This record gives sequence, C-alpha cells and structure tokens, in this order.
Amino acid sequence: MTSRRRIMTATVLALTTALGLSACSQGGGGSLTFMVFETPALDAKFWDTSIATAAKEAPSTTIKKIVSTDADRTKYAKQLQASGQFPDILASISPKDFTGAKLLKPFDQKWLDDNFLQPTANAIEGETYIPPTNSQIIPLVFYNKKIFADNGISVPTTWADFTAAITKLRAAGITPLELAGSEAWAASMPLVGLASADVLGKDPTWIQKLYKGGAKLSDPLFANAMQKAVNLVKMGAYNPAALSVDFKTANSNFLAGKSAMYPMGSWFTGSSYITAAQADNIGVFPWPTDDGSVVIPFNVGGTTSVSATSKNVDAAQKFAQAWSLAPANLKVLIETDGAFPMMKKLSIKDFGATVSSLYNSSYSYVTNSNTKVSSFGWVNNDDALAPGINDSFYALAQSVFSDSDVKTQLTKLDADWAAATKK
Amino acid sequence: MSALLLNRTTRGRALAAWLVTVAFIVPIYIALVSAFKSQSQILSNPLGPPVPFTWENIGNALSRPDALVQTGLLNSIVVTVATLLVLIPLAAAASFWISERTGWVKSGLIALFALGLMIPPQVVLQPIVSLLQSVGLANSYPGLILSNIGGGYMSFAVFVYVGFLRTVPRDVIEAARVDGASELRVWWTIVMPLLRPATATVGIFLGLWVWNDFLNPLFILGPLQGQTITTGIYQSLGQYSTDYGQLFGIMFLAALIPVVGYLVTQREFIHGLMSGASKG
Amino acid sequence: MSTHTQPHARHRIGLAPLAVLALLLYAAFLIYPLVQSFITSLTNRNVLNATNAFIGFANFAELVHDERFLRSLGFTLVVVLFVTVVSNVFGLLFAMLLNGPARHYKIMRTLVFIPQVLSGVIVAFMWRSILTENGLLNSVLQGTGLTQQPISWLGTPELATLSICVVVSWMTIAFTTVVYTAALQSVPAELHEAARMDGAGPLNRFRNVTLPMIAPGTTISVTLTLITTLKLFDVIAVLTGGGPANSTKSVAFYLIDVAFTSNRFGYASAIAMVLLALTAVVAYGVTYLLRRREAHL
Repeated sequence: MTSRRRIMTATVLALTTALGLSACSQGGGGSLTFMVFETPALDAKFWDTSIATAAKEAPSTTIKKIVSTDADRTKYAKQLQASGQFPDILASISPKDFTGAKLLKPFDQKWLDDNFLQPTANAIEGETYIPPTNSQIIPLVFYNKKIFADNGISVPTTWADFTAAITKLRAAGITPLELAGSEAWAASMPLVGLASADVLGKDPTWIQKLYKGGAKLSDPLFANAMQKAVNLVKMGAYNPAALSVDFKTANSNFLAGKSAMYPMGSWFTGSSYITAAQADNIGVFPWPTDDGSVVIPFNVGGTTSVSATSKNVDAAQKFAQAWSLAPANLKVLIETDGAFPMMKKLSIKDFGATVSSLYNSSYSYVTNSNTKVSSFGWVNNDDALAPGINDSFYALAQSVFSDSDVKTQLTKLDADWAAATKK
Repeated sequence: MSALLLNRTTRGRALAAWLVTVAFIVPIYIALVSAFKSQSQILSNPLGPPVPFTWENIGNALSRPDALVQTGLLNSIVVTVATLLVLIPLAAAASFWISERTGWVKSGLIALFALGLMIPPQVVLQPIVSLLQSVGLANSYPGLILSNIGGGYMSFAVFVYVGFLRTVPRDVIEAARVDGASELRVWWTIVMPLLRPATATVGIFLGLWVWNDFLNPLFILGPLQGQTITTGIYQSLGQYSTDYGQLFGIMFLAALIPVVGYLVTQREFIHGLMSGASKG
Repeated sequence: MSTHTQPHARHRIGLAPLAVLALLLYAAFLIYPLVQSFITSLTNRNVLNATNAFIGFANFAELVHDERFLRSLGFTLVVVLFVTVVSNVFGLLFAMLLNGPARHYKIMRTLVFIPQVLSGVIVAFMWRSILTENGLLNSVLQGTGLTQQPISWLGTPELATLSICVVVSWMTIAFTTVVYTAALQSVPAELHEAARMDGAGPLNRFRNVTLPMIAPGTTISVTLTLITTLKLFDVIAVLTGGGPANSTKSVAFYLIDVAFTSNRFGYASAIAMVLLALTAVVAYGVTYLLRRREAHL
C-alpha cells in the first residue's frame, strides 16, 4: 500500500509541479507587451531607454519587451497573432496587414492634429494607426566621393548617367552597387527606388488604381521599371555573391570602399551606421530617373501601433502616445537612425541633436520643394501594399538575380495581389 | 613480410580514418575555437587556434542584460526535466499495461501509438496552439510540457518500452503476482527495474530531442514567457546588437550540456541505438 | 479462496488509470489535433480576414495550382532524396572505416557522432558562418586562387539548395554512422572468418555477409532519415530563411509560413494533410520494401 501511495504521490507531484509553473509565469497585473525590432541603430539599449522614458508618463504600467526574431516585424507580429499572443503595442509594423481584422486601435485625430506636421500622412481609410512622428527617404543612393573622383565620375542625375557610371566602375574592377541581398527587405532597395521613381513618379495614384483594378503589376509601366532591375544584374552592377551578403556586411563593405554606391534608406545617415569622419567622404543623390527629374520616395514613418484587442487599450495607447512624443526618444532616432522629425511643436534645432554632413545633405531633400511620392512597399497609409504582398515583392528582388523573365514573375505577383485583396 | 604488410595497411587505414574524422568535424572545431577568439581573429583567420585566448565572448554572453543564456538554460532544464519526469513513468506504465493485453486491443493500441512516430510536428502544431488557447494554457510552460508529453514523444517512449517488454521474461512478473503483490507494486518494484535499459534509451533520446526542440518552444511557448536556450539562440541571431564572437560564446554554452551529456552516457546512447537497430 | 479473489480483482485495475491518462494526453495532443487539422483543411479559416466557412476541397484544388507549394514540394523531394542517399552511403562507409579495434578508433567515433547531439539551430549557424559571402569557404577558395569572385553559396536557388542538402547530410551522417556502427558490431566475427576461409574476397564478404547482417540497421537508418528530413524546419530557418526568393522552402516550412504569417489556417491545414500523406507513403513504402529485402537477403 505504501509503495502504491508513493507512486501516486510521485505522479501527482510531477503533474502539479508542471502545472504549478503556470502560477508563477502568468502573474503581473497592469503589464503591457511591446514588440520591438532591432537594427544597428535601434539596439537593445535604445529600446530599454526609450521605454523607460515613456513609462514615466504612464507610471502605473510595466512594459514587457518582445524582440522580433525576424527583420520583418510585420511578419513576426502575424506569427504572434496566430499563436495567440498579439502584443499590446507594436513598433513600426505595416498597419494595413492588420486593419482587415480590426486588430489595431486608431489614434485620436485631435491628438494627431495637435502634434504632427502631417497629421494624416499615415491615414488608412481616414484612420491613423501609427503616429506620424518622423520621415525617411527610401531609398537614396549613397556614393563614395573618393572612388567617384578617382574614376572621373560625376554625380549621375539621369538613368543613362547612372548606368554609364556602373559600366565604368565595373570595367575598373570596382563593385558598382553594394547590396545586402541575403536580407530580402534590403535586397529590394533598388526595386523600391525603381517602382517609386519610375512608376509613382509618373502616376502618383498608381497604387490606388491597382486596388481598384485599373492597373496591374504586369502592365508595361511597372514591368519596364522592373526590367531595369534585371538589367542592373546583367550589367554586373552587384557583387556576384550579393545574395549571400547580410546587412551588416554590406554596410561595412561600402564604408571600407569595396563598392562605389549603396542604395539604402535615409537611416544610413545615422551615427549607428556611419561616423562623422566616414560621412565626409560619402555623398548622396536621389534614385535617378530617365529624364533626370527629381522624385523622392518618401515615407512618413512612426513607431507605436496599439492593439485593439489589448486587455488595457487605454493604458497601451497612453504609453504609445508618450513614447512617440518624448523628445528624448526622437532625438536618439535623429542621431543614430537618421530620422527626419515631423513634429509640429519641435523643429530640428529644438532637439539639439548632433548630426553628420551626410544627414544634412539628405535632409535637404525633405525640406526642399520637390516631387515626393510614396516609397513603394514602405508607406503606412492607403498606398501601403495589400497584406503579404511585400513578401512577394521582396522575393522578386532576389529572383531577378537568377530569373530574367520579368513578365511571368509579375503575372504571378498579380495573382498574389488578387488573392490578397479578395474578401 | 606479411606482418609488415598487414601493419602497413592497418596504419594506412588509421591514417585514412583520422583524415576523414578531422575533415568531418572542421565546422565543430571552428565553432569551438571561435568561442575563444576575438571578433577580428574570427574574421581574419577562422581556422587558426585561439591565440591569444580570450574569455571575453563567454563573459559577454553571460553578462547580457536580458540574461538570455542563464534564463534559457534554466527554462530548457525545467521543460526537459518536467517532460521526462512525467512522460517516463506514464509511458512505462501504459506500455506495461498494453503488453498485458491480448488480441486486437493490444495490436490496436500499438498501432495507434505508432502513428505518432511519423507525424511531422508541423501538421498538428496549429491545432495544438488553438487547443491550449481554449483551455487557458497558451504560451505557458505547462502548455509546452503537456504538448511534449502527449505528442509524438509519447509514441517513441511507448514504442521502445513495448519492444523491450517483449524480451522480458514473464516468470519473474508472474511470481510476484502469485505472491499477491498489487499490480502497481509489480510495475514499480519488478517491471521498472527490469526496464532500466529501455528507460536509459528513452531518457537520453527524449531528453536530447526536447532540449534541442525548436518548433514547439517557438510557437507554443512564444517570447512572452522567456525562451528555451534553443529558441534563445535563434532570437539572438536576429539581433543586430549581438556580435559574432558573442554568438559563438552563446552557442558554446548552449551546446555544453548536450555534448557533455552525450560523452557521459555514450555507452547507453549507442547501446540504445544498437538495440533498436538489431531488433528493427 | 474469497480472500484471494479480492486483491486479484483490485490488481486487475491497478495500472489502468495511468494507461488511460497516457492515452487521454496522447488523444488530446496528437489524435485530436490530427482530426482538427483535417477538418480545418476543408474551411477557409483565416484570422486576419475573420473568415471561417466550409469550402469542401477547394483548398486542395488551389494547392495544385499554387506554384510556391509545388516548388516547395520539389525542393523537399530533392533534399529528402539527396540526404537519404548521401547520409546512408557515407554513414555506412564511415562506420566501416571507423569500426576498427584499436582504442583511438573509439575516439574517432566519439568525435564523428557529436553533430547529432547539436540542435539544428546551432548546426545551421555554424555552417552559415562558413558559407556566407566572406565566410571561410570563400576565403579558402579565393586564397588558393581556385576562384576569383566569391561564390554565392546561399544566394542562388541551386547553390542554396545544395548548401542545405550538404548541411543536413552532415548532421544526419553523424546519426547514420552510429546506427551502422551498432549494426556492424552485432555481426559475429566468425561469419567473416568463415567466409574468408571459403576464399571470399573483401567485396564478396561485404555483399554476402555484411549487407545481409546489417539489413535491419539499414531499414531503421533509412526510415528515420526520411522521416526527419521530411519535417526539416530549423536548419532552413537559420541557414536561408527559405530564400533566396522562396527557393529553399520545404513543405513543412511553407506550411508554417502559411499558418503563422499569412494566418490562412484552412489552407495551411490542407498543406499539412499533403505533408502527412507524403510522409506516410514514403515511410510505410520504404519500410515495406526494405523489410521485404531483409527477408530476401
């Protein structure tokens, strides 16, 4: 009998030990989860400090940070949603992927009007899910001044200039364009430039036409732009192993002078990517167009989206607002991540941020009057692509390296688009 | 003459064996030495020995503010130990009970449990996540441990135990029964000791699989309750704040327990496979 | 007599509660999810669109035209075939080479077995550091002048597929070598001696003594290689993330992608059913063939 009881006790004990763990792991009232993502600029320290800064405004809540395992945080947010742990606050996701299921809580329009230069820049069907705190240009083309001078190349303004420079550099044995091809989002930079400059530059309403069925990705306008991406590969614009290069390596390759140009988002001007000394040797020009007209692929960004399914939506929104308004947070973003501020009450000088010459020359494309179009695949407003299409578009950026049949690939992309927008 | 020839072929074979072995484990060698080299040494000379030797990577890995290695190891130990503590007695008891049945009940149960051996975990993952959500155990350690116990691992344990029980002589068990011992007592004091080699096999392999499991901790546990060491490494791979050297440091610390465990239990490890391989 | 029947009746129930508990857990976490997965495969359940309606076999009809799925199927078959053949051939060769009597052979075996205890995440990261553009392999190739330009081992669909095949084979060889070593050690030395006396050469002895004797080991090794490769996930996630351009997504990887990032549970379940059928056909088919071969040998 005793041994029998002992066995039962042991079994029950083991089961309760296992189950008892739930008690200690699920405690903590008033705690919110905040999904963040890391880049060279937005590292663990940045998030911890910025969370602490915002938490001062909302003292009753504690914030639990979740770091995205995927560079594509929208993808990771969906994964969390599918496994039942959609975070309360999410950093820089593409809201359009979640508005269909009404998973996000819009911000109050008056609060937006009071605080931001372009209060409706991130509006999707009239509602804003990401505070429009700052802007970016995605992509710009950064170039190595010394390499350009050594090879007698002047800054290209037209597509013909650009390809001539590439041919010249290739002949001189220098990799013309740096590309972080192993990371799909980074691999897409030239395609983002082409789609924004060549397609939206000619027809700024083109994405809306795509939604309404008045345009197709396989139409000549878009197909010709993508054909240019294939041509770049064919003319040897990239390192042949570019698709094995990650973002970190690409950055250091370019700064070490192993390549002459680097199409990348304006965050590259931040101090986490480039030192002030390095910045002096780097110049910048907008993605070139056929006729040399300046078209800026512009994105009003922002960080904090709020889950509508949060157990404490009000506290989450309060935290999200505090995070987005804190000048200290934006100051770090300006310095390290090259963010261009879009605050109504604070001009760039008010932040007292230390920035490089490269930042200033890039920022002038924001403040100058010029043609600004949606940065294809990056904007958070009605021009955002249909859910999941970014993935297919990124895949296209990698497949142009091995498959030059643009037409067929875009027909498939059209099918993806149809499936993604079908209700 | 022939002795000399024999000696030469023996030596030739040994040389070939060593060459193959060394070539085969080059990746492990690189990972091992990289854990004790500086970032620039790793990049400039990946094959070189760790000279000068540095503990910095290990130190950096252990002093991360998120304590990824420490909490990861602790979580992995909790999940692995709890899974084994429940699964082993449960599977052994069930197997003994099944082996006492006859006819279609026995063959039916064995077939049912064998099913789990070949089901890819991806096939049942989403329904398990939904099930755990509906009972309030989603993203929790009990949820992960329960799905470890009830899933394909159970199949493996039952498969090994039922197979082993075929070789256990019945007369010892019958003798105990005639003495009037209760069935639980027979199981615990007679059968379990007899099953010890099978338990070693089950414990070693399931311990290893649960420890190295990636899919279940990633989706069933998720990031909210902390990581196991395996998903923790994956997490740190996605972080730009982590340097290469530190990653090798983390990996060294993560691999330490399974590799040492393997070296210690090597005899049982291979024996377990051998009994499986020869019995079929 | 009556004093005897009572305990007897009691010990008859003895272990039943534990067995039932085991069965219940197994039913809850394996059988029920399996049935649930099948039911979901007949719906358009999608959390992001908030749809969940019965649509019959429409998901399966879509699969036939889904290029990404067909590509993942092709990729999976290539990897499974490559890994199964390579790891079993090399596993057997390694086992024969390392099955020496001297003590240092034991050290070699210990070393060669190590990769199988490492997690796929660690293995894939180790290899990634070797295969990247500025990794060890390219620096060796360029250093010795074998190639001028770095080779994109993870960057083209073909080379990335090859890289995954090689890395998974490397891991699996460690496992198959153990199985074949165990099988070889169970072959009685007298059999070889007897064959030698009969004048059989090494090749003859391998064919007529070794192969038949290790047949059960071969069955185990091949079957397990097939099953583990079919569910491959972690190595791909770390080594290529399914890229470039989705070219290295296995069916199991694509299934997770559809379920957890597109959140199309219905469609994902249909893929799950195909993966299950594939595994069942391959596993049972190969086991059946190998068992028949065992009997013939």
